[in-house]
Amino acid sequence: MKHVLVVVEHRKGQTRKVTYELATEARALADQLGGTAHAIVLGAGAQTLAESLATYPLDVVHVAEDADVDAYLIDPTIDYVEAAARSIGSCAVLVPNTMFGRDVASRLIARLDAGMIADVTGFDVDGERLACIAPKLGGATITTCAFVNCDYAVATVRPNAFSAQTSGSGARIEALQKPPDRTYAMRVESEVEEASGEIGLEEAPVVVSGGRGLGGPEPFTTLLKPLADALGGAVGASRAAADAGWVPYSLQIGQTGKTVSPKLYIAVGISGAIQHKVGMRSAGTIIAVNKDATAPISEFSDLVVAGDAFAIIPELTKLVQT
Amino acid sequence: MKIVVTVKLVPDLNAPKSIDSATKRLVRAGIEPVLNPYDEYALEAALQLKDRLGAETTVTLLSMIPASQKETLRKALAMGADDAVVISDAALEGSDVSMTSSALALALKKIGFDLVICGGLADDGSTGGVPGAVAERLGIAGLTNARKLEIENGNVKAQRETDTGYQVVSVALPALVSVTMAVGEPRYASLKGIMNAKKKSIALLSAADIGYANAAPKTELLRFAPPPGRTKARIVEAHDGAEGARVIFDFLRERKLV
Ligand SMILES: Cc1cc2nc3c(=O)[nH]c(=O)nc-3n(C[C@H](O)[C@H](O)[C@H](O)COP(=O)(O)OP(=O)(O)OC[C@H]3O[C@@H](n4cnc5c(N)ncnc54)[C@H](O)[C@@H]3O)c2cc1C
Ligand SMILES: Nc1ncnc2c1ncn2[C@@H]1O[C@H](COP(=O)(O)O)[C@@H](O)[C@H]1O
Repeated sequence: MKHVLVVVEHRKGQTRKVTYELATEARALADQLGGTAHAIVLGAGAQTLAESLATYPLDVVHVAEDADVDAYLIDPTIDYVEAAARSIGSCAVLVPNTMFGRDVASRLIARLDAGMIADVTGFDVDGERLACIAPKLGGATITTCAFVNCDYAVATVRPNAFSAQTSGSGARIEALQKPPDRTYAMRVESEVEEASGEIGLEEAPVVVSGGRGLGGPEPFTTLLKPLADALGGAVGASRAAADAGWVPYSLQIGQTGKTVSPKLYIAVGISGAIQHKVGMRSAGTIIAVNKDATAPISEFSDLVVAGDAFAIIPELTKLVQT
Repeated sequence: MKIVVTVKLVPDLNAPKSIDSATKRLVRAGIEPVLNPYDEYALEAALQLKDRLGAETTVTLLSMIPASQKETLRKALAMGADDAVVISDAALEGSDVSMTSSALALALKKIGFDLVICGGLADDGSTGGVPGAVAERLGIAGLTNARKLEIENGNVKAQRETDTGYQVVSVALPALVSVTMAVGEPRYASLKGIMNAKKKSIALLSAADIGYANAAPKTELLRFAPPPGRTKARIVEAHDGAEGARVIFDFLRERKLV
């Protein structure tokens, strides 16, 4: 492995923040491996996004503004990424550990006969051997895993694991050729928005999360959202809240939901079942607001405030706002 | 229609887990294997289709597990699957995503299918890489994160979850779909189901049976360590909202989070 290729995730003209983290880390990795750092950005608005990416410490940004990429699920994307990877040669492909990233990674390992390591939070380079650091078994073990027997490797990288830094050096932007004679099977017939999701939950620096203790859907918008906004974060939930239909499943954190690693996680009216814990235990600071000071969440929090969320959260929001 | 549901067995989440330092594999001894939670939703999605489409629709389980664990699949058979196929071979021990997806794809070719339904994520390895890689290896459409499946004129139509909502996508069979929990709570096995499950077939396939030679993983575990510990929580009783808020705010200041 010598080179590094970052697959850019974006929606509605906005690059996901994790992409910039990957672009920054790609440089460090490529330098250690003795290769070059690349990014690939595809679909509507790709050209404009490529220009903003070029201010990160990359050598080349590959770009294709092809309508097929948005009209069909994943397949056109994979055609372009495969072609870019092959033109670069033996490389590590970095994608975010998100729904999009896992889709790209899973397809690509079959195309490139590559190894895959998921939910990566660090790298370890020894010569040309690349290893990844990744929490496994619900975060109970931190593993270091190397890619072996493969020219290509794919890592899905956890958002917030690396910091982003522009360099201003100016990457070269190169247009990709459209793959010849391809027809695609998975046309998107329509798209429906259910949640606003201004900040992707996985990459929000702060997550304010609510559980069964909130008793209904309203407190998620009247209590948690204003606090999350004041802290520059996003709202999450326990499964109990999602199962009750108070919030969409896309907000659920845990074993069968999303894994988050924010700087700050505030759990409001969440008991801290192990299935919830595995999705948020690596947060920098964990604060629990719970009527019950002995709830399991107190075993892995930094601060537990025993009290009524309905009284505490509005006051806290006011303090943060001023 | 033949539906195949891929099912992994994983160690019970509540059991303390460790990795054997010699073999670098998960210590499974003494830990009860359970159906991967996500795969129960995959099975539920398949059974919902069978309920609607009638008896010509069959649901086969496909699982790559140590042969000694195959009886654990009876629970899924009791929920309503018709039969099970197990891939088990010493040569496949320690499989990574690349090997697992190759083995499952080869087995699927051998047993035949119209629709493959996978869970979204395995609880132990949790790469989420297997479904997409299997679809790619089979050269069929691979629709991930689906809920609300319907079969219409030889197509599978699904709502595919996104970060902010869903997309409607319809693809021709044969196809592979991975599902989210929003397909609906997995059903409980009825007493009749449990009785019937005892008679259902669990077939065994070796690596040779599926034509998988020279299997080798593309990843290797070098080291592992416990996660950094967290110091014990500060626990504060708040007598009113203002006091609780002040405690949290001071803590955030202390940690430079506001
Ligand atoms: C296979 C499987 C997968 C699962 N996956 C997930 C997952 O991904 N994510 C997940 O979260 N769960 C998951 N679960 C469910 C998990 O086991 C718990 O049931 C769930 O996390 C509980 O949610 P909760 O903490 O909101 O509710 P509860 O456990 O009911 O806790 C509510 C808490 O609110 C407190 N409270 C009540 N009123 C107030 C108030 N006014 N102010 C402050 N505090 C108050 C209570 O003291 C209590 O501690 C899974 C379970 C299974 C079996
Ligand atoms: N060994 C296995 N046997 C059968 N199905 C599997 C196996 N490993 C993974 N799968 C399927 O692939 C899904 C995703 O697993 P993973 O990619 O390992 O996170 C699971 O929910 C299963 O449906």
